This record gives sequence, structure tokens and C-alpha cells, in this order.
Amino acid sequence: MIRTDRVFGLVVILVALTYIVSAYNLPPGNLFDKLGPKAFPTIIGVGMIISAAVLVLRPDEEPEWPARPTLMALGFATVVLVAYAYALKPMGFLVPTAIAAGVLSYQITPHRRNAVLVGIGLSIGLFVIFKYALGLSLFAFPRSLTG
Amino acid sequence: MDIFANLALGFSVALSPWTLTLAVIGCFLGTIIGALPGLGPSNGVAILIPITFTLGLDATAALVLLTSVYYGAMYGGRISSILLNIPGDEPAMMTTLDGYPMAKQGRAGEALVISGVASFVGALLATIALALVAPYLARIAYKFGPAEYFALYVLAFATLGGMASRNQAKAGLAALIGLAIATIGLDNNAGFDRFTGGNLHLSDGVDFLVAIVGLFAVAEVFFFIETHGRDSAVGVKLERVIVPWAEMWSTRWTMLRSSAVGFIAGVLPGAGASLGSFLTYMMEKGIAGEKGGFGTGVAKGVAAPEAGNNAAAGGALVPMLTLGVPGSGTTAVLLAVLMTLNITPGPTLFADRPEVVWGLIASLLIANFVLLLMNVPLVRVFVKVLMVPPAVLLPGVTMISFVGIYSLSGSYFDLVLMILFGVMGYAFRKMDIPTVPVILGILLGYQMENNLRHAMTLSGGEWTYLFSSPIAVGLWIFAAAGFIAPIFLRGMLRRPQVAEADKVTD
Amino acid sequence: MKFTTLKALGTSAAISLLAASSVWAAECIAPANPGGGWDFTCRQIGKILYDIGQVDAPVQVTNMAGAGGGLAYSTVVAERNTDPELIVAASSATTTRLAQKAYGDATADQVRFVGAIGADPGVIVVAADSPFQNLSDMVEAIKADPASVAFAGGSAAGGFDHMKPLQVLKAAGFDDITSVKYIGVDGGADAITQTVGGFTQAMTGDMSEIVGFIKSGEVRALAVLTEERVPGFEDIPTAKEQGFDVVAVNWRGLYVPGGISDEDFQKWADRLQAVADSAEWKQAMTDNGLAPFTKVGGDFQSWIDGVVAQTEELSREIGVIQ
Repeated sequence: MIRTDRVFGLVVILVALTYIVSAYNLPPGNLFDKLGPKAFPTIIGVGMIISAAVLVLRPDEEPEWPARPTLMALGFATVVLVAYAYALKPMGFLVPTAIAAGVLSYQITPHRRNAVLVGIGLSIGLFVIFKYALGLSLFAFPRSLTG
Repeated sequence: MDIFANLALGFSVALSPWTLTLAVIGCFLGTIIGALPGLGPSNGVAILIPITFTLGLDATAALVLLTSVYYGAMYGGRISSILLNIPGDEPAMMTTLDGYPMAKQGRAGEALVISGVASFVGALLATIALALVAPYLARIAYKFGPAEYFALYVLAFATLGGMASRNQAKAGLAALIGLAIATIGLDNNAGFDRFTGGNLHLSDGVDFLVAIVGLFAVAEVFFFIETHGRDSAVGVKLERVIVPWAEMWSTRWTMLRSSAVGFIAGVLPGAGASLGSFLTYMMEKGIAGEKGGFGTGVAKGVAAPEAGNNAAAGGALVPMLTLGVPGSGTTAVLLAVLMTLNITPGPTLFADRPEVVWGLIASLLIANFVLLLMNVPLVRVFVKVLMVPPAVLLPGVTMISFVGIYSLSGSYFDLVLMILFGVMGYAFRKMDIPTVPVILGILLGYQMENNLRHAMTLSGGEWTYLFSSPIAVGLWIFAAAGFIAPIFLRGMLRRPQVAEADKVTD
Repeated sequence: MKFTTLKALGTSAAISLLAASSVWAAECIAPANPGGGWDFTCRQIGKILYDIGQVDAPVQVTNMAGAGGGLAYSTVVAERNTDPELIVAASSATTTRLAQKAYGDATADQVRFVGAIGADPGVIVVAADSPFQNLSDMVEAIKADPASVAFAGGSAAGGFDHMKPLQVLKAAGFDDITSVKYIGVDGGADAITQTVGGFTQAMTGDMSEIVGFIKSGEVRALAVLTEERVPGFEDIPTAKEQGFDVVAVNWRGLYVPGGISDEDFQKWADRLQAVADSAEWKQAMTDNGLAPFTKVGGDFQSWIDGVVAQTEELSREIGVIQ
């Protein structure tokens, strides 16, 4: 029977093998450094393989994964957050924050008008706090607009 | 006795209406900064330095302000741990383990009061110890070389077995993943980057703040989207906040033990508050045993890490003041502010500038009392956070985390990394893989490898060097005991369950 | 009652903060977290620029930690190349890393180095009870057995602190420098702790890092790596007078974006000169163990070019770069 723990264990084993291989491709390091840059990562990698093997051989009960629509919603939230991360610098703070906060708010409690209000309110409120009370260097709008 | 004369000197410098006002402001700001995930000491200093300049504060007033912010941040870290399951700063991560279950049961107020008092006890005892023994204790740092530090880190990981709820392999795997992440970046001993794929952003390694905010805050948002806020502490009907005297009294030994262990962890420059709160929690969990109910929301489970991390915060001042070695991110910040005030910590500070040292100790005592008076009544205000609808609260927390992380380096890269950690945190919690060991691995991995390699460099490759001092041997013995004890206990308690699991697999 | 008082205090704090951070004149990027040398450079220079009236509003300090300064460097080159109101804190570490290609493809000629206005002299230090009485004792011991002396320093292997003893050994005609033990720890104070504790035999670092320990008598400085003895520390001999022709100072200064006009470059050079001449800066230098070292404008740029070339050569020799 396929179980999450087994799949995860196999993925970890693959990652750990890649990790060990790339450790072996590192240059040797300094003459005085007896252990060198490869040993510690190799130990860690081997440890990962052993504990992942335990998961493959003895998996726990299957976790309760959410249904497909919820997974889609989570995927969408991730995409929104990544887009927000990329937009923050070129587009200034206010607009991306309002959109990202609004979307998250709507996803938690689907209420359109409230989500819009939360987005706008959080974006302006947090900007004022961060910029003026905490003195962080933030820009409200794209730098190119304000100069 | 000398100490009273010294303290009198300190208070004469530090006690005035003006400095008290500053202490209140500092404690308040510190608590808020500490409570906000992603905003940590570096933001604290970013705020402090301009204020000291603009207000033209003299050294004493600035000291009062900065110690208030420092201790305030240590107190504040617990608030979001308990209310939202999101640690405000890294030492507060252990407080999530019992604090959040308590909040889910409607006992957020009690958790905050008990942890607040524990913070007070830890910080107070540490400050007293600092005043009494700092100059002598500084010598401990001279006894800790690469072999001793390596053994200390091994000890921390050896106790991890008690961390997992069911599957020990998962706790171990989580720690190893953290350790592997810690090897990313510049190799200090070879002078080149490892595992960065040529990406300049990774060359400094993965910042543990990015990991902690991702694994906890971002993952929490995913859970709220999945459940729409059910099965959380938000909106839970709160019991009236009363001071739980009896419950608090029952944690008295926990608080005292944790303060002692936390203080020692703080004094060692390579350990710090996170290791302090981790070790105290694991120690108390071990003492309480299976019946203690650690992890389900017990008072001792919030008292131990909070007493431990606040005592460690006080302890960390010992190497900072007497050697100029900052043991943690927060003390590094404090050191920076002292330097801008033209106070250079080091072995001669106690003799050269007694008014500074004793003024600082007096300010710490003042800050500590102000924080207690402020924190306990304010619990009523803090718990109101849980009455904010999740649709407002969680987006707010997310945006705060983004800005906090963004302010680290001003790049999208850390933010994307943080989201990845968020996805990982969500999946790990679903799979019952604890995330605290991942953080511990990231926090300690770099130093662990470094010290191992330094030991091998110094000994010319001789492994016995790792066991060559009494301190190192002692730590190895503790580590072995910490590793074996849970296995032995589990063997007795859990044998039937393991057998059952086997059957299911086959 | 209590809460209203608190609230009022909180509000007043917020307002005072608001006033503190109104309009910024120029921006100084410290390519590290608060607390280090670069942060100090930005904050001190920024403060003095404002105090002596060279700029009419406080200088905003931005911390941009990452890749040992590489992140700030590549950001300035790629995004702020023509910003005339931007200065960036720099030191020997900046040029060492540029010379070693540690900032990716970035090269030292992509920005303009505007000047240095102070320097932290390099030092080589031993514990008070060490058998080495002078630099020659140590060099002879290493020549006899390279594994007998381990150095601790605050930079990574191949970094500036590691280079200092190697330069001395090269000057003494010792070529097997790759076998000399070095451990890179978290900063100079940590390196001293390891040396006083007897785990390493010597510490290599900056003067500012050892001041307190010299005064308390726990360590002895074998040599300072400057042209002449440092004021205030006249009893520490230079490496030069002991017959090892090595000068290594950790200068503190600024660079500006490469695309700004010559007038803007000159403007910053003049401002920096004014800071260097101010009484406030002299006080700050004394308090922090910095020695006078002023090179501003065109002079500084050509000096930097020489340093980069020299570092590149030594790095190649110890195998940090191919």
C-alpha cells in the first residue's frame, strides 16, 4: 500500500544521495583542515538515508490530507505569496500588500467586502507602523514613480 | 558587602523619573517587537540607535532604554507563541509546544500569566547571578574549546529522541534536515561556498529567522485556509483571566531549575538562549516523565522554556560584558549599541567603568520589575488578539512576517525561501514530523561542524582530542545518558504499540 | 486608568519616533546586520555628516546583509548604479572578497571607492604565558614545525585575518604556508578567548579587538602590522622593525555607485574629508581603537587597485582561487 511516509522517505533518500554526491564533488579544502568540507555533509546524508529508510519500512498511519478543492486553494495561496514576494520591491509596498492580504483574508473567510477592507486597511496600517514607528526602509509606491 | 555599595551606585545612576519613563517605553516597544514574528533584535537596534541620537540620550539613559527593549523582547516572544503557535523569536519556539495547546483549551490567559512570571523569575535570578559572579564566570568561556562545544551540541541533539510524539525516526530526520540546511553557504574552513548552486543569496547560508517564520507563521496560514480557522485558538471562548496561584506554585521547582540551566547555557557564548530553552524543556519533560503530559498544554511546559530563555538572556550578558563576545543575536545588538555609546565591553570593563556595569545591572532590575507589572495586567489586552477574526488576524501576521524578513536583506529571495519553509512546515505537521528539531539543526549545525573541524585541525586529525578534557568527557556522558534513557523508557512503556505498528505494515 | 497611561506613553513614543524618521538626506548601506564594523561605519559617518552640517537631514542607514557584502555590492551595481545620494560602507574585507571573486562575477572596477578615513591595524597576539617573546620566535617555531602553531582569527579561512600571518611568513621566506593551521571563529573576541584558553597558540586580528585584553594583561601583542607604531600603543613593535616587511590594516571607508558623475564623486570625497577632519571622528577613532588612515578621492582608488592585485596573488598561492 502506498503511504505518504513511504513516498516522503523515498524522496528524502534521493535528496540525501544528491547531497552526498555534490559533497564529493567539492574541492578538497585546506591542507590543515584534516576533516575537510566533505565529511560532515556525508555523515548527515547517511543519517538522513537511515532515518528515511525507517519511514519507508515502518510508515505511520496515513495523515488526513485535505480534499482536492482545499489543496487547490492552498496551491493558489502559495502562488499569491510568491507573486507578492516578487512584487514587493518593484511595485512598492501598498498595492501588492493590499492584494495579497485581501486574497488570504478571502481564502480564510469567504466574504468579499470584508476581504477588500482587510486588504486595504492592513496595507495602509502596516505601512504607517513599519515606515514611521519602526523606521524600516519601505517604499509606498514604485521607486520610479516617486523618484 | 561590596555588592550593596555597587548596587547603590548603580541605582543612583539609573533611577530617576526620566529613566523610569524610558524604561516603560522601552519595555513596551520591546514586548511588541518581540511578539511580532520576523521582527527581532536587529529591528530593535534599528529603532534604538536613531532614538538615542535624536533624543541626545546620555550613556545611562540609553542603557536603560536598550536593556528594557532587550528584556522586553525576551518577554514578548512568548505572546505569539502561545496565542498563535508562531514564535515571536527563536528562543520562544519551545513555548509553542505547551503554550498553544493551553490557548486552544481557552487557557491562553493562564499560559501568559505563568510564562510571564516564569520570565520574571528567570530574568531576575540571572540578573542577580550576573551581579554576583560575572567576573569569575567569564573564565568558563576559556575552558570551552572546539572539542567541548562539539560535545555540547551533541548533547542537545542526543536529547531529541524525547521530542517526537510517536516516531523517533521522524524527530531524527527533522534534525538531520536542519543540519543539512545549515551546511549551505560559505564553508568557513575552506573559504568557498557549498551547496549554493552558485546563488549569491545562499552564500551566507539560510537565516534561521527565515526558517522559523516560514515553518511556523506561513504554515499556520495554510492551516487556517484549510480549516477556515476552526481547530485553532482564535475565537475559542476564553475563561476569565485570573492569576492561577496554585498552578503557578506547582511550577516553582521547574522555574528554579530552568533558571539555573538557562543561565549556564547563556554564559557559554556558543550556546545561547535557544539552546537554553530547548535543554530546560527537555530536562523538565524528562523529570516529569510520561505522566507529566508535556506537549498537551501543561503549566510546567510553558514555565520551563520561558524561565530558561530569560535566564539565558541574562547569562549571555556575562561573556558579552566581560569578554566582548556576543553569545546571541540579541547580545550582538546590545554590544553594537554599547559601542556606539563609546563603551567597549571587555575584561577591564568592570574595573574601568563600574558606573556603566552597575548602572546596567540596576537598569536590568528596573526593566524586569516594570515588565512584570506591565505584562501581567496586559495579559487581558493580549488575549483580546484571539477575538480578532481570523480573516483579519492571519493576513496581518503574514504581512508582518513578510516585512520582517524583507527587512533582513531587502530581497525577494529570502521571502520565497520563507514560503518554501511554509509549505514544508505544513506538510511536516500533517505527517507528524516535529519542526522544532529542524530549527535546532539550522541554528546549531554550522557551529557544530565548525567546532568538529576546528578540533580536527588543532589535533592534526586525532579523534581522541574530542574526549581529551574533563568537561568534554562529562558532556559526552550526559549526551549518552540523554540518548539512551528515552529509548530504555520507551522500550518498557511502548512495546505493545510498536508490535502493533509492525503488523499493520506487513 | 493604568491602560490609558500606558497608551499615552506608547503614543508619545510613537510620535517621537515619527519625528525621528522624517526625511532622509542620503542613504548609507551597511552590507551586514547591525553590530559589525560596516554598521559602525555607516552609523558613525552618517551621524557626523549630519552633526557637522555636511548634510541637512540625518543619513538613513539600511542594513543589507548577505554573501559577506556581496548582496549589497551586486544590488548597487545592478539597481542603484547612478544614485548620487548613496554611500556604502566598505573595508579590507570588501576588496579581499572582490579579489577572490567571492562576489560572483563582480569586479572591483564596477563601483568607485571614495575614501578611507581610519584603519584598524592588524595585530598578531599570543596569550600572556606564551613562550614566544617576539615575532621571530614564532616564525622560527613555525619554520621548524608548521603544525606547532595554530592561529585563531575572526574571518573565514582565506579571509583577511588568515592572510596576515601568512604574509608575515612569506616575508620571512617560509613558503609552505598552506600547512599553517588556522581556525576561523566568530569574531576577534572569540579568537582571543580560544587563545587565552590555550586551544590555539596565537590570534590574528585587528587592534580594536584586543584593546581590553591587552590592558587586562591576558594577552601580549607580538607585532602590529603598520608602517609605524600606533599612537596610544607605543610599546607594541611593528612587524617592519622586527624585519618582516608587512603592512596590513583593515581600513574603514566607503564606496559609491560606479555610474555617478565626477562632481558627485568629488562631493562625497569632500564630505568624507570633512568627517575625517572633525573632532567627533577623532574621538570615535580613539574610542574604537582605530588608527588615523586618511586616503580620499583619486589617491584612494589607485591604492585600492594595488591592494586588489596583491590580494589576488596571495590568494592564488594559498589556493583560495585558481
